[in-house]
Amino acid sequence: MEQQQGSVVHLSGSENGQRIESRILEERIQQAVEKGCRVLEIEAFGQHGIGGRLWKGGNQKLHVKITGAPGQRVGSMGFPNTLIEVFGPSSDDVGWLNAGADIIVHGHATNGVANAMAQGRVYVAGNIGARGMTMTKHNPRFSPPELWVLGSAGDYFAEFMAGGIAVICGHEPQDPENVLGYRPCVGMVGGKIFFRGPHKGYSKADARLIPIGDSDWAWLTENLKTFLSGIGKTELYAKLSDREDWQVLKSRGPSEKYSKSRRSIEAFHQEVWDRELGGGGLIGDLVDFERTPIPLITTGFLRRYVPVWENRKFAAPCEASCPTGIPVHERWRLIREGRVDEAVDLALAYTPFPASVCGYLCPNLCMQSCTRQTARMITLDISMLGKASVAAKLPEFPPLSGKKIAVIGGGPAGISVAWQLRRQGHEAIIYDMRSELGGKISAMIPRSRIPDEVVQAEVARVKEAIPHVNLSRRLERSDVEELREDFDFLVIASGTQKPRVLPIPGKEKLIPAIEFLQSSKAGEAKVGKRVLIIGAGNVGCDAATEAHRLGAEEILLIDIQAPLSFGKERKEAEAAGAKFRWPCFSKAVTDEGLELTTGEVIPADTIIISVGDLPELDFLPETVETERGFIKVNEHFQTSDPKIFAIGDTVKLGLLTDAIGAGKKAAEKIGAVLSGKDFAAGASRSKIDYGRVKLEYFDPRLSGFGGIESCASQCSSCGTCRDCGICVTICPESAISRQSRLSGAEFEMVVDPEKCIGCGFCAGACPCGVWNLVENEPIG
Amino acid sequence: MLANGTIIPSSLSVRDLLWQVRWDKEKCTLCGRCCAVCPVQAIELGVHRKRIVQIPSLAEIGPATASSNVYQVYHGVRQKTDPAYACTGCGMCNLVCPNGAIIAERSEEIDKQRFHINRGGQPRRRGGRRNAPDYLNLGTLDRIKFTRISMLTDPALDAGRHEFELRTLLGRVLPPEENLRLYRENGWIPPVREIYPLIIGSMSFGALSPNMWEGLQMGVAYLNEELGMPVRMCTGEGGCPPRLLRSRFLKYTILQIASGYFGWDEIIHALPEMKEDPCAIEIKYGQGAKPGDGGLLMWYKVNKLIAAIRGVPSGVSLPSPPTHQTKYSIEESVAKMIQSMYMAWGFRVPVYPKISGTSTALAVLNNLTRNAYAGGLAIDGEDGGTGAAYNVSMDHMGHPIASNIRDCYLNLARLGKQNEVPLFAGGGVGKNGKLAANAAALIMLGASGVQVGKYMMQAAAGCVGSETDRCNVCNIGLCPKGITSQDPRLYRRLDPEKVAERVVDIYLSFDTELKKIVAPLGRSTSLPIGMSDALAIDDKNAADRLQIKYVV
Repeated sequence: MEQQQGSVVHLSGSENGQRIESRILEERIQQAVEKGCRVLEIEAFGQHGIGGRLWKGGNQKLHVKITGAPGQRVGSMGFPNTLIEVFGPSSDDVGWLNAGADIIVHGHATNGVANAMAQGRVYVAGNIGARGMTMTKHNPRFSPPELWVLGSAGDYFAEFMAGGIAVICGHEPQDPENVLGYRPCVGMVGGKIFFRGPHKGYSKADARLIPIGDSDWAWLTENLKTFLSGIGKTELYAKLSDREDWQVLKSRGPSEKYSKSRRSIEAFHQEVWDRELGGGGLIGDLVDFERTPIPLITTGFLRRYVPVWENRKFAAPCEASCPTGIPVHERWRLIREGRVDEAVDLALAYTPFPASVCGYLCPNLCMQSCTRQTARMITLDISMLGKASVAAKLPEFPPLSGKKIAVIGGGPAGISVAWQLRRQGHEAIIYDMRSELGGKISAMIPRSRIPDEVVQAEVARVKEAIPHVNLSRRLERSDVEELREDFDFLVIASGTQKPRVLPIPGKEKLIPAIEFLQSSKAGEAKVGKRVLIIGAGNVGCDAATEAHRLGAEEILLIDIQAPLSFGKERKEAEAAGAKFRWPCFSKAVTDEGLELTTGEVIPADTIIISVGDLPELDFLPETVETERGFIKVNEHFQTSDPKIFAIGDTVKLGLLTDAIGAGKKAAEKIGAVLSGKDFAAGASRSKIDYGRVKLEYFDPRLSGFGGIESCASQCSSCGTCRDCGICVTICPESAISRQSRLSGAEFEMVVDPEKCIGCGFCAGACPCGVWNLVENEPIG
Repeated sequence: MLANGTIIPSSLSVRDLLWQVRWDKEKCTLCGRCCAVCPVQAIELGVHRKRIVQIPSLAEIGPATASSNVYQVYHGVRQKTDPAYACTGCGMCNLVCPNGAIIAERSEEIDKQRFHINRGGQPRRRGGRRNAPDYLNLGTLDRIKFTRISMLTDPALDAGRHEFELRTLLGRVLPPEENLRLYRENGWIPPVREIYPLIIGSMSFGALSPNMWEGLQMGVAYLNEELGMPVRMCTGEGGCPPRLLRSRFLKYTILQIASGYFGWDEIIHALPEMKEDPCAIEIKYGQGAKPGDGGLLMWYKVNKLIAAIRGVPSGVSLPSPPTHQTKYSIEESVAKMIQSMYMAWGFRVPVYPKISGTSTALAVLNNLTRNAYAGGLAIDGEDGGTGAAYNVSMDHMGHPIASNIRDCYLNLARLGKQNEVPLFAGGGVGKNGKLAANAAALIMLGASGVQVGKYMMQAAAGCVGSETDRCNVCNIGLCPKGITSQDPRLYRRLDPEKVAERVVDIYLSFDTELKKIVAPLGRSTSLPIGMSDALAIDDKNAADRLQIKYVV
């Protein structure tokens, strides 16, 4: 029940021996204030929130005196002009959300004092529990809130404190070693804490100790008096007013936020890591090179790939596929350089028959493998250059060495080996059973395919080089054995003379093709109206062409399989009206013609057999081994008798260029042996990869060449630098320069490693495929 | 390919490749950098012909004024289509291009290259992790949610301001009564380390470049000595640099011994000179990326340095057998090898085995529980990474880590030993960048800690390898970032200091994220190991299998 004593109202939290609810007490307090009561004496029995929200007092001072045991949140949401005094200790959260009340606790206060206080003052005449002065703030419209504690603060003091002033006087603290409790100021963003006495740390990230300034000290001493008078302990002033005892903690502003100053990794690396491990760190004792950071794009030895100017390292496909090994692209280069004569003469270093073979008779394997054909572009016309070679001048030969080599056979192979030996300075003497030098070229190949004057001119050139030729000499074994003894070496190049014949009845009526061709060329052959040729290869085709020339009207070539003939021979046979038929298996030769195994008889007046020839080797010394009718040789065309070499068709049937190439290779080996040099087999360059050559620089629609010069201009010079300078231009780092060698005409492309980044653009752009990008030398 | 060239079955067009290089002629300055930097020479300068058909006005065409063709040539960057030079999508070309003129794009459809990378009868080998074409779908670990949030039920903690002790124990933890008894009787108590629960898993010196390895170790040392975080790193099988063995940093290191025993004679020789014991010894029996397969360091990666550390001549291939050759049974492995390893350091260093995730993990675990020397068990799940393995092993072999670790933990709980034999989980942790969430999920499923390898390469060194088959060329020593290469021209791209800095960043941010997970669960002073009531997943089957809540 309320008892009115003037303006003093006394309210008890207990009624009839029963504790009244916090709600009832609150209603009565509000009622009393509304009725004009300005002093309330409240005997509390654990009621919550006593003294807060008393705005109904308006501007008049209101004094709430609390005795007994107040519950939590004394003065919560307190208003200005309210003064609350608790005469004894207080429970949790004194002054929670205080918005202006002055609250005095004449004793200790437990946890949460002044939590979220924004205005007003809380005086505690003892110690406080945990989380005091947390989340307090300072609204600029009002004075900052204050918390004064006579003793010490509990743990987590001033967490999230965002404004206001806390004063911890440290008088008779709970822990004499620490007046601020455990981990104060965590998350503090505003306000100030005066404290007196020892502490055990605070959140340095959020607060910092500042020296107590004069104005702070003036404020503190002034207000300390008010505080002590409020709690009735003015006698302590002298003890508490020693400036030396006081310290101030201030929140750090956002820009002052303290992040623990960490040692930089760089410093750690030097001062800790390398000091413990030694110079160079973890593996400084195991490596002798730098490991410092490098950029992604590097030069010099740090490049992963380096360009290499592989000029002439690889053979052009033309050269590589020519059995004679003529560097055709070099001849085009000479023509491009205006040195046509040299281009023509160059061939004589490789073949004695540049005009007859390259110009007329060879299927030109060089051009079949020309890089241009890989892109369906017309290949260069080497026969043009070949034909021009009829004028090639006899080169100057070195003086004779005194070494002599006997060559049996004056055909392309024999002449080739003799020619090459003469170029080396050795004397070769040719023996041939025919009356004319030149073998098949002069004796068998139809005039329709090569003019006599070309053959004669080239044979004449050969004769000039090799004066000692013994023609119309058929050699017996004893002769050959004698030659073997008399000469340093003996080369057998006697070709094939023995036609293969079919073992069928009437075979004696068959005319072997080689005999037919020889007699035809000699002007002695005759044919009937219907000519049948067994074997539709190129020789058969030549026979067909000749038969047509001699007046045959119906020409049929038969074969047991699809004919293997190709090229000019085939075309000319077809042009002569020859027909091809297969498969046909011969059974017998009759007077009517040829009877097949089917019983069919093909009528024919003349039957020519052209199923290949075999060498005639009766004269071979026994030291020379043979295999299936041919002479057995090693890669140098050396037979089982080291003094005897064998080349051309005696070894394996092939093209003229195969025979000429074999002669060249045998001569190289013989020359090496004669001069005592070590001859490394297979030292020849390998063929360049087509993919390295760039044909995009050429006109793909070109359909013909005006002459040798225009032909030469279209050569991609595979593997050999054509000095176009595209690499110098394309290099993004200007790292490539063209440098002359001492000899003048020669040059090289040089890379400056300090500029080059190893991008490979030179290799990508090079028309000739000379540049290559290779892995750099490994390090580490 | 030549214009009229023939094709072979393995002739591919750019369209068939997995990574297709887009080059922009307009933007390109032909500076050459892309070609210089490409690790596999997938691109080169090409010469291209342009044809312009010039036609005068039709009315004017006549014998005098014919139409004509003009050919021009331009140079451009083009991609090779030979599978041997297939672009790996690493993106270095784009990184060095000043104009953004070049980029590798992934094929929109299933590439054809994959059918031709076994030429010569050699199946594909690579580095990296299980290629998961459904990479956009999150894995099981990623889908686990932490649903038990302490709201008014018990005080939630503030991850930012509360104090945490996020430590775990490595080593055999005896029951208290047993511990006290042994203490009283002056008996042997197994050594136990209190360490940070995120361990840098085994990546060997050799699999990683020297600069990468040093950067990781330096970062670990920094975390320990400057920031007070007891982070540990396992060496992997490849020995340990002699200087590290003789330094105080050894205590931050878990030495691994595996079936090749590489570098162990050097470790033995260093024993008398060691200032500190290593943190622990890990015996590798298996690896998640290639279960049942041994390691292989190809001869071209075995340079002088690697050879010195591994104690072998340089230039030889270094195979590790799939198994330890003298161990024939679990019992023997546990008894023989674990004890021997304890002896080396006077029984002061915990020893534990590492196995690949397998449905037989329980058999191993049960043996370990019966052996007081077993200091724990590390399990490496199917999503673990590797420097080199057969693609088929990586893509199809192994066991997912989540259920494997869960089974083991529940088994320990059944035996009443869940606090005694710590389990460590690895294999795909942080695969989709969710390192802390994955780690926390595994811990709450029962792991005492997690091991990460690939994540470290990605986050600490910028590894661009991915589960969509990007880069993944660790096995051939051409790592464009210098992480897994032994070629100084590549690994010097990597600055150990910068790696160390990133290791520190990773751990600090991981620490904050882990707190953000465990604080709302009300945990701060002990890891919530096995606290599976906090976990849930929106997949009923997964929930049932893992014995966690199913939520939708």
